[in-house]
Amino acid sequence: MSAKKNSLSDLFGKIVRQQIFIPIAALFILLLFNLIFDPGFFVITLGENSAGDPVLSGNLITVINMGSELAILAIGMTFVTAASGGQDISVGAAIAIAGSVLLRVLCGDNTRPAAGELQTSFLVAFIVSCIVAMAFGAFNGVLVSIFKIQPMVATLILYTAGRSIAAWINNNELPIISDPEFGYFGGFIPGIPVPTPVFIAIACMIVAALVLKFTNLGLYTQAVGINENSSRLNGLNPVFIKWLTFVILGLCVAVAALIKVSRLSSINYSVIAKDIEMDAILAVALGGNALSGGKFNLWASIIGAYVIQLLTTTLFKYEVPSDALPAYKAVVVILLVVFSAPTVREKLAHLKKSPAAKKGVA
Amino acid sequence: MSKKIRNMTDSNMLLSITIIVFLLMYIGAIIFQGKGFTKPQTFFNILNANAGLIILACAESLVMITGGIDISVGGMTALVSMCCAVYLDHHNGNVPVSMLIALLIGLAYGLVQGYLVAYLDIQPFIVSLAGMFFARGMTTIVNSDPFNVVNEQFVALKLTRINVPGMGSINKKGVYVNAYVEIGVIIAILIVILMFVMLRWTKLGRSFYAVGGNKQSALMLGINVKKTKFLSHLICSVLAGIGGYVYFLHVGSGAVTNGQGAEMNAIASSIIGGTMLTGGVGNIIGSFIGVLSLATIQNIVATAGLGEAWWTGITIAAMLCLFLVIQSVLMARKKKMMKK
Amino acid sequence: MIFDKKISFSVVLVMTLLLLAGCSGFLLGQDQGGSSDKGQQDEKSNRSVTIGLSQIGSESDWRMASTRSVQEAFSPGRGYYLIFDDAQQKQENQIKAIREFIDQGVDYIILDPMVETGWDSVLSEAKEAGIPVIVYDRRVDVKDESLYTCWIGSDFLLEGRRACGWLSDYLKDRGINQDINIVNIQGTLGASAQIGRSEALDEAVLAHSKWKLLAKESGDYTSAKGKEVMNDMLRRYGGIINVVYAENDNMAYGVIDAIEAAGYTIGADITKGEILVLSFDASKAGMELALDGMIAVDTECNPLYGPKLVEIIEKLEAGEKVEKETFIEEDQFSAVGYINSVKVEDTSYPVTYLTPEIMKEREY
Repeated sequence: MSAKKNSLSDLFGKIVRQQIFIPIAALFILLLFNLIFDPGFFVITLGENSAGDPVLSGNLITVINMGSELAILAIGMTFVTAASGGQDISVGAAIAIAGSVLLRVLCGDNTRPAAGELQTSFLVAFIVSCIVAMAFGAFNGVLVSIFKIQPMVATLILYTAGRSIAAWINNNELPIISDPEFGYFGGFIPGIPVPTPVFIAIACMIVAALVLKFTNLGLYTQAVGINENSSRLNGLNPVFIKWLTFVILGLCVAVAALIKVSRLSSINYSVIAKDIEMDAILAVALGGNALSGGKFNLWASIIGAYVIQLLTTTLFKYEVPSDALPAYKAVVVILLVVFSAPTVREKLAHLKKSPAAKKGVA
Repeated sequence: MSKKIRNMTDSNMLLSITIIVFLLMYIGAIIFQGKGFTKPQTFFNILNANAGLIILACAESLVMITGGIDISVGGMTALVSMCCAVYLDHHNGNVPVSMLIALLIGLAYGLVQGYLVAYLDIQPFIVSLAGMFFARGMTTIVNSDPFNVVNEQFVALKLTRINVPGMGSINKKGVYVNAYVEIGVIIAILIVILMFVMLRWTKLGRSFYAVGGNKQSALMLGINVKKTKFLSHLICSVLAGIGGYVYFLHVGSGAVTNGQGAEMNAIASSIIGGTMLTGGVGNIIGSFIGVLSLATIQNIVATAGLGEAWWTGITIAAMLCLFLVIQSVLMARKKKMMKK
Repeated sequence: MIFDKKISFSVVLVMTLLLLAGCSGFLLGQDQGGSSDKGQQDEKSNRSVTIGLSQIGSESDWRMASTRSVQEAFSPGRGYYLIFDDAQQKQENQIKAIREFIDQGVDYIILDPMVETGWDSVLSEAKEAGIPVIVYDRRVDVKDESLYTCWIGSDFLLEGRRACGWLSDYLKDRGINQDINIVNIQGTLGASAQIGRSEALDEAVLAHSKWKLLAKESGDYTSAKGKEVMNDMLRRYGGIINVVYAENDNMAYGVIDAIEAAGYTIGADITKGEILVLSFDASKAGMELALDGMIAVDTECNPLYGPKLVEIIEKLEAGEKVEKETFIEEDQFSAVGYINSVKVEDTSYPVTYLTPEIMKEREY
């Protein structure tokens, strides 16, 4: 009996020690909270929007819809964190730039083009915005990898300048695109009831999974993050790998910018994707990844991103005003990081062996 | 020349670069911009508007020297100013108690953040990120509407001006106008001096550098690393409380947007001033000059009539970039020389 | 190693040169502007008036149209040198900008204040330095009225009353007698326009027993925030909302987006469950929505202050007196029809029936 108990507690200990356990546990706690206090949270309804197309709506749909940008950014941020041991705080500003470029290419000088009067196709505009976003990513990457400036400080430059550059690109005008097709990327494609950002996010995850599976990128970033010198001795080029992660993040930024801009069919330089860098870093941290670099778990970061969105949506449901939201977020974040801190977990493991076993049975 | 560079300490070299660039910039502004910059009051206005930021930059530098970071100082500024504003206006409070409130908020923040960072080993970035979120959110919960404080005692203190003799100028109507600084400037300068002395000549001050520079050797020297880290966050937050109050004294209003971006400005000033985020290197005087440099650029851009707001951001970023690259290259060169 | 060093050095060199080139270009350009300006001042024959303009920000189409109007009016060709400062939505920045203007010794300061209070000390500094301050659009609330020379702007309370008056007349005209549930998407709290427009609505709700104000929340005059707030309200109240009172066009834009996305219909037919949207500003985008009937009535808030301000400064330059307070003329537009004029406190104000021709004539 006691042996069984032991093995159970061992098993539980193993699960608890798994990195991905933290975000999943957080996800379940939040879902459980909603289940107890308001099962209506889980209701998903199939309705019609004004154009008569079927759309799914409900809180869970909101979570996976609105969490898309964050999940996409979390992918890039995880790579950057793993390789460089620092974080990029310029992603919000970079989204403003990428979005601004997107609109500038689409609209040209006319800030209010009528439907069908766009300068180029969406694809061309998106590719240009990708190139620009990756170029800015590369700029950050050069500062970090070649000049050896700490990532947070290096990206502080773009953080300071980004929104100004975004405003500059469009001469401080706020273009509005009236083509309904442009709204598809952030809304619904007629006939498909699931919001498009969900598909975009899934596509990004698949690409990331394929890259991790068929290339050595994951291994290399970890090696560089753990010990730069020994990875160099092993024939890797840490400078290039660090630089590459920033370029990848740039690509993620461009995709997130497309969704963000499409949601509004317009842009507001000072508020678009505001504080999203903080949420993206938080997603990586909630995923249990060490912010000092090294080993990483991409899926944990992505789940972390959805945990943040779930928390936001839950708080909205309880009528917390949007400006007060950060306070509650902070409390949850602190609780999460405290319980996932190695020192605390060790103490808990020592103290609560038997209660842990009980929980495992339950 | 190279010998001299070799003999200079890291901090001294970075500091001298900062001072030289600042002086060049200010002289350039006087030559090209004319008019305004020759007036001493322009310089005093830069001090007046940035007294709070100077204190925040000191706080930030201390944590950065110890190898940490604190991005909650801007949020704290908002929280402190809103709490004090609400207390002064809605509860008919008095000024000394409001100062106490500011200090208490700083102390509470310092205790919690310091404990989490030093004793639970949580990354300072995450802890202070949560701190920032909490402060911003709490500010809205305390009061969401921005308002100007009308409490007489407070307004009197806010309007108190300390005349600087012999620095005045003659206005359009030919009347001599005295040059002045606000009370906040005096507090800020006192804090700069105090922090400078503490970091340079006290045992505690040296232990901050030791912990930031190399934890292992600090341990071997018998320094209590955890306690030192805890103290750095504690002092930082208390200073942020004071800085928040000085900022509040200058703007005289409680608003959720108060101190927006102040944490990044404080970090940028520290970096321009030669503090390194890796810890162990930094100088309070440098941070002070860093704030002045940032403010001077803003002033130049604003009065140049460039018309568009984006230039401020872009110029500051360009300058930050320049400083960082110079720092990085010089440090790399120096390392190589040391090896030889 | 040597190779590394060379690369890093050349990169630094290039960056420094670029920056220096940028700086010198900008300083030289500045120098030219400055010297010609000074030269003109020395000549005295062709006077150049230096004006500092402190603008709130560039958060909405309205604000940008307003800035452009002032910038065009005070062009160098007309003998003006305008220093423009965008405060990015912070009073603190405006106060800083005014101090900088004083230090630079401008001839006039034009101020569009972010909020009403908190200007006493900085305006008294301007007065001390002998620089006249002209306030426009939003008001300042200072103890000593002599701190500013004059104010021109909109009567926001009247705008709100005209919008509410239209709603009341419209309901009467259509014979709608049900309960009317209203939500108010407010502007930036503390701004004159928000205070006036919100007050008019509160007044109207008290005066009409059937009108109910479900909720009010600030959308900060931006479409993004307006959309967010409206989403929130739809989640809370759903279909029982009849009227949305959006305090500017940008927010109305976001509100309409949110309503459509949530699957409700927008229109003037309240009895059929349509949601009626009232808006202010009458910007181009807003007028287009009004033409489509998405905005039932758009009450104008005229942003074209440039010519009026030139008039005032010319008067002051000539040593003439100016009125302390001037209201700027405004219109009200609707494509819903039925109502031709609205009465507010015994004065009748016309409502313009919106047609594509009217749209073409407007420059903003």
